[in-house]
Amino acid sequence: MKKLLIALFVLCATSAQAQDKSLLDRARTEGKASFYANITAIEPIMKAFTADTGVKGEYTRISTSKFVATAITEFEAGKLLADVVQAPLPVLDLLKDKGVLAAYRSPAAAGYPEWTRKDDRIQLFGIEYVALIYNKERVKKEDVPKRYEDLTLPKWKNQIVMANPANHATTISWLIGLKENVFKSEAEWMKFLNGLAANKPMFVASFGPTPAPVESGEKLIAISMPKYIVTKAPAPLAWAQVSQPMLGTPRAIAVTSKAPHPAAARAFVDYWLSKKSMEMLAKEVGEYVLAPGIYPPIEGISKAKVIAIRELSDDEIQKWGAEFKKIFDVK
Amino acid sequence: MTNARSRLTYLLIAIVGALTVCPVLMLVLGSFSEGLTAFGVFTTDKYVEAYTDPEFFKVMINTTIFVLGSSMLSTVLAIFLAYLNTRTDIPFKFLFGIISIIPMMIPHLLFSVSWALLLNPSNGLLNLALMETFGLDNAPFNIYTIWGMILVEGLLDLPIAYLIIAPAMASFDVALEESSRVFGAGSWRTLVRVTLPVLRPAILAAFILGVVRSLASFAVPSVIGMPGRVQVLATHLYEMIATGFATDYGKAAAVGMSVLAASVTLIVIYRTLTAESEKYVTISSRGFRPTVVELGKARMPLFGVVGVLSFVLIVLPVAVLLYTSFVPYSMVPSARAFSMMSLKHWTDVLNDPISLLSLKNSLFLAVVGATLGVILSVFVAYVIVKVKTRASGVLESLSYLSFSFPGIVIGVGFMWFFVQTPLYATIWALLLGYIATYLPYGIRPMSSAFIQIHSHLEESSLVCGASPMTTMRRIIVPLLIPGIVSGWILMASMFVRELTLSVVLSRPGTEVLAVQILRFAEDGLWGRLSALGMIMILISTALVVVATLVGGRFKTA
Repeated sequence: MKKLLIALFVLCATSAQAQDKSLLDRARTEGKASFYANITAIEPIMKAFTADTGVKGEYTRISTSKFVATAITEFEAGKLLADVVQAPLPVLDLLKDKGVLAAYRSPAAAGYPEWTRKDDRIQLFGIEYVALIYNKERVKKEDVPKRYEDLTLPKWKNQIVMANPANHATTISWLIGLKENVFKSEAEWMKFLNGLAANKPMFVASFGPTPAPVESGEKLIAISMPKYIVTKAPAPLAWAQVSQPMLGTPRAIAVTSKAPHPAAARAFVDYWLSKKSMEMLAKEVGEYVLAPGIYPPIEGISKAKVIAIRELSDDEIQKWGAEFKKIFDVK
Repeated sequence: MTNARSRLTYLLIAIVGALTVCPVLMLVLGSFSEGLTAFGVFTTDKYVEAYTDPEFFKVMINTTIFVLGSSMLSTVLAIFLAYLNTRTDIPFKFLFGIISIIPMMIPHLLFSVSWALLLNPSNGLLNLALMETFGLDNAPFNIYTIWGMILVEGLLDLPIAYLIIAPAMASFDVALEESSRVFGAGSWRTLVRVTLPVLRPAILAAFILGVVRSLASFAVPSVIGMPGRVQVLATHLYEMIATGFATDYGKAAAVGMSVLAASVTLIVIYRTLTAESEKYVTISSRGFRPTVVELGKARMPLFGVVGVLSFVLIVLPVAVLLYTSFVPYSMVPSARAFSMMSLKHWTDVLNDPISLLSLKNSLFLAVVGATLGVILSVFVAYVIVKVKTRASGVLESLSYLSFSFPGIVIGVGFMWFFVQTPLYATIWALLLGYIATYLPYGIRPMSSAFIQIHSHLEESSLVCGASPMTTMRRIIVPLLIPGIVSGWILMASMFVRELTLSVVLSRPGTEVLAVQILRFAEDGLWGRLSALGMIMILISTALVVVATLVGGRFKTA
């Protein structure tokens, strides 16, 4: 029986290998894989993909606000250039509804947690995690927030920078995530929001401009992404290791239904989800990935509890954006 | 002759119309369509939603103050600098000429960030220096206000105004001023009663372009307005498209239509105010000679004023940029910061293959695009100024169509259009999109120059047997050289830093500088961003110098 099982395993492994080889051969014949993504700083992975597989990886960065418009316009005109798309989960859900995505279960995601397999089309691979990032040269250890509520203390008045809560989707989702995952009651959450608003945070368009004012000392703390501690080294940035969980929106990837290079698309997704790529994403870009046991090189992150925020509909985001506009007095 | 002019007018309407109407038409379709693309079931819901938003009225008040304030600032500064640089014996003219157009070469995002580093109320460098010098407890200035926005936008639009007004000043017939003086008027009275009224078309053109540009501007409202919680049209539109994932550009286009309407109204007003173009002719066949006004005792004090203005308003922000490109992260200048300086960001940028490809593509688009754009602009400006028919009015309005739309939206209009053509995702789509959108940058300086050239010159050439083309080549174009140089510089430096179309149309292989800069900005990599920004300034400066030298050679020949 044991011998039979081993034989079966070897047969399956050989068959999978043969399948991989055949996929890669076809991908090489197709020549390239075009990747539309909103994630940044992934050039090293594109370069490694090209070097390791012999298939050229082409990366087009498309911001979240233009993602759906671009993909659907191209798709409806029969000119979608993307073989693979990566964006926040709600974006890929919208594309799935329009028939833009193809079914593909990558064998490379076999070791990922079950909840990351959203359906037969979408695979989650990371969380756009949000934390309190402070200037470690200007904030004393004892002053570093220990809970999110500490941000409402008067000492942070005019010292906070954050993305505009009236329109930045990830920040809106984060604030809702706090309500649903961190605060015990809506009243507590509302008290936190009002206290934060009273501290007059400076608003910027997105997470990108949040670390610069903290580095330069213009502000002391940001609601931002810990990945900047990696990408902006040696800037004096650190994250406040609060006792509550960290939250973030899931990052997703999928193959397109009319991919100009279908085999290359699948080979790319396999490569993207592989341990090697995920390690690069974590170590070089500072991303929080969902491949088990891989963490960005940031002190304390491997022990942190990171929760994926539930998917918010556009209507919810707009409703809460309008609500936060009032609370934070965004003119 | 009349037939030839009519044919030319209709041919140009066809060319300019094809370039500018298509993307706007797609946006009109999108604004009346259900769903997220240009082709859906007819609906007026997007207009109803956009214009019944209670925020809209408040936003429009802020927008009006911002737009009029910045346009007035840029026009007044441009008149002052252009007069001193072109008409007087102020020292270091060439240098001041270049300094006046430097903001044109800097990506607006970077220029705005530099001003935030100088004048933010927490640790702005100028604020810190003033607090230390005068022993103040609080920062005297706060850039994050509507006045800060007006200052920075005004400076960014200064080159446009300068490059329109300076050629007109340079071609000014001094006989008009001399006549004024003969009749007893002093220098100030002559300036106010003769010089400025004669230059009305150029001044109005500069002001109108400033209004249209600041309406479409996003960098200043985003970098300075958003932290100061001052919302204007551009940030209102941004909020409309950024909140949520299923971005409805049709609704944003519906709001954009009011900007388009405002721009077309301004053009009509401009045409009415400059209808009697004969009044503004300063180059006739009777001995045109621009001369230099001697400043006398005022020479050195005025030199000092221009020097300080140039230093504080333009040199300092560029110096901040240069400094940022050498330090490892955003730091206030200190002994430690200087000890940590290195060329790392520069080597990172120069070793990055995408940055190098972007440089190559942007240079190609700047040189080829500006040259084609200027050739088209010469003909369009000729028809607008010299063929005063209803059709020429239509041509002028058409030339403003894409330009008038807020940048955030027009790029999507071009995408909706180009995706229906084989040009999609090629460098030619970028080239055509650039020319279509920034045609007024070529047309305006040329129109101001055409207005000043008397039709007697053209008529004499035709009477002597020269063809219209020969007349254009031998008589008109040589007199237009200052306008052509201005138009080329405006277009080329705009194309080097163009972002709004590029961010939507650029694909692998067609990356351009501004898109690469945006990538660095989104990653918060200000050092690399500044290094690439400085490279961009150097390229634009080289283009300006070459254009000025070539222009000077043609003029002499």
